[in-house]
Amino acid sequence: MNGVDVHSAQSQDAQAPDTQWPRWEIFKQDTAGKVHQAVGSVHATDPDHALLTARSVFARRPAAVSLWAVREQDIFSVTREELENGQTLPGHSGEVQSYRIFGKKTHKRSMTFVDELGMLEAACPQAALEAARSQFGDELLAWWVIPVSAFVGSPEDAETVESWFAPAKDKTYKQQSAYGVVGKHVSERNPRVKHD
Amino acid sequence: MTATLKTQAAETAEQHAAFEARIVRGEKIEPGDWMPAEYRRQLIRMISQHAHSEVVGMLPEGEWISRAPSLRRKLILMAKVQDEAGHGQYLYHAAETLGAAREELVDALLSGKAKYSSIFNYPTESWADVGMIGWLVDGAAIKNQTMLAGCSYGPYSRAMVRICSEETFHHKQGKEMIVQYAQGTPEQRALAQDALTRWWWPSVMMLGPHDKDSTNSGVMSNWGIKTKSNDQVRQEYLNEHVPELLELGLTLPDADLHQDADGNWIHGPINWDEFWAVVKGQMGLNKERLATRNAAHDDGAWVREAMLAYGERQRAQAAD
Amino acid sequence: MTDLTSEQTQALILRLTVLADDELLLSHRDAEWTGHAPILEEDIALANIAQDELGHAMGWLDLRKTLDGSDPDGLAFRRGPDEFRNSALTELPKGDWAFTMVRQYLFDAYEALWQDAAKASTHTPLAQAAALALREERFHLQHTAAWVERLALGTPESERRTRAALQAVWPYALGLFEPLEGEQAGIEAGLLPDPTQIKARWLPLVTAHLTRCGLTPPGAEPVARGTHTEHLALLLAEFQGVNRQYAEMTAW
Repeated sequence: MNGVDVHSAQSQDAQAPDTQWPRWEIFKQDTAGKVHQAVGSVHATDPDHALLTARSVFARRPAAVSLWAVREQDIFSVTREELENGQTLPGHSGEVQSYRIFGKKTHKRSMTFVDELGMLEAACPQAALEAARSQFGDELLAWWVIPVSAFVGSPEDAETVESWFAPAKDKTYKQQSAYGVVGKHVSERNPRVKHD
Repeated sequence: MTATLKTQAAETAEQHAAFEARIVRGEKIEPGDWMPAEYRRQLIRMISQHAHSEVVGMLPEGEWISRAPSLRRKLILMAKVQDEAGHGQYLYHAAETLGAAREELVDALLSGKAKYSSIFNYPTESWADVGMIGWLVDGAAIKNQTMLAGCSYGPYSRAMVRICSEETFHHKQGKEMIVQYAQGTPEQRALAQDALTRWWWPSVMMLGPHDKDSTNSGVMSNWGIKTKSNDQVRQEYLNEHVPELLELGLTLPDADLHQDADGNWIHGPINWDEFWAVVKGQMGLNKERLATRNAAHDDGAWVREAMLAYGERQRAQAAD
Repeated sequence: MTDLTSEQTQALILRLTVLADDELLLSHRDAEWTGHAPILEEDIALANIAQDELGHAMGWLDLRKTLDGSDPDGLAFRRGPDEFRNSALTELPKGDWAFTMVRQYLFDAYEALWQDAAKASTHTPLAQAAALALREERFHLQHTAAWVERLALGTPESERRTRAALQAVWPYALGLFEPLEGEQAGIEAGLLPDPTQIKARWLPLVTAHLTRCGLTPPGAEPVARGTHTEHLALLLAEFQGVNRQYAEMTAW
């Protein structure tokens, strides 16, 4: 049901002998106007801590303007392959609520997994998935369906956004471009060797 | 063990054929997709070893943050060692998408059950080692990681794309430092040469046993995990680094080193006894590195417990 | 800038040195956790703070250079313990995680308020540098305030350790606000914030947060700047060792 990480969700619920803390999936928005993308996860104990941690892990370098965090067990995920095998998401109807939909569009290499597609209202994750498939196209390779209530987001006031995300731009010493002249490629000096 | 066997027995030839067809088509395998149990097992082994290497790899260079001889170098080294923690973090995440729990992976490292790259069991003896590690060790690692960025498992590939772009900074800052020292005062030059003499062979060895002695290569290549052999990657590493090091007037500790008719740099015989002794912890600082990791983990136990208690109380209050 | 009197220039140089020395040493202590933090994510987070503090120190020393032509690396690596102007707060060993977080929290609050006030400095380069550094301090303060809260309200052990850390650190933290002899000319000219006014904002801010966390600041006398512990000489021996070993090398 939850293709993201069933195993670690279980081990965490059972007991926590020496825990690495619960896992939160992190979504990053690179610039205003772009969608949020799944970039990885952090281990943290509460929502605020997850966001503070995500800022340190995923915004050490530009670019970011916003982060979201969701506990892994609040994510309903399914791949196209699983759908073809008849897999469904939980379908017992509850109250209608808002879901955020994410999808993976390409087999090509990228820095992210799924991208935010949009929001819709549904009575259960399965209904949200079906609505998403008709609304956002059925060719996607993987889907994440997440109740909007499960998200926490980084503060949106201008001062905090600047405090969290602007300084990384000035830290040029950790960008490879700051060492431009050093990286002169060897092919100029060793022309007989060709690499693919 | 029985569980693994049972899973494997349940895998059909059709499933394997469909899976391998996806690999041939160049598709990325994603969490949730069907995959052979052996593919999952090999990936968890490989990714977690890689993650452990990043985490242990913080130690030899981290020792020098407090002693860096200029403010700029100190700042750069802080960022670099921080990135290594970050790379470990990305990689544990990739392993977690396969169903591994970070607790278990970390425990396997701390108990000495899991392997990590033995290059980090070599001591850092002088400040110039920091530069040489950046140039050579990270240079060799990038060759490997660039290949893995194209690997068939989506989360591993994505972690590698991110890591490669950050490792390029590591490589360049190290190279910048060594180029500067090699062209600097006689004392600086001697520091650079001494570091090269000690790190050259370990960096050549870190790309793994020769293809003819490598046990996992076949299946790893068929499943698109490793798309180049150890010797291919090693050749790329030599061809890039040897001419640049020679151009600086530095001496490589390999009397047999030469260029063949195709322009490839050919190294002399590798001392694999040393390689395996370091892997097995009979040589080098394996015990010290693990003791340091264990100490940090044990000292942090009360912190992890406290945070967990706070988080659980907060969740309980929110639920009320 | 050309209008500065010699007294005012000296006041600026003094305060910039004090700021830089505090941040150099705090950065050093924070960076000692890199590779040894309680969990991987915090290796990354504290290394961010350490880099930010070092970056600020470098910024202050660059500003000082514009005033007296001094070399930042020369100041960092070639002064003895008696010449360092840091508060003893920043030279104390890293201690446990509670000590590191409580010290960092109290310092971050001080630094953020000082920078906020310095945005109004009549010395424009200082005002600009303070505004840039303040962005980072705001985040540090959020991060360390969150940690202090969680440790204080976590388990009995973490509460005990956090209380002990506060007890140990508090007199040193109060010392951050002690007037500097020679700074007055800069304060009167509007070049530098008045530390007593910073303290008047700092005390209620941190007291409110500590109280929310169930902690009470101890009654204590400030440890004045200029008082050093035995830890400073040891720290500098490590910090400066490589640089001093190759005394004739100037380019690293």
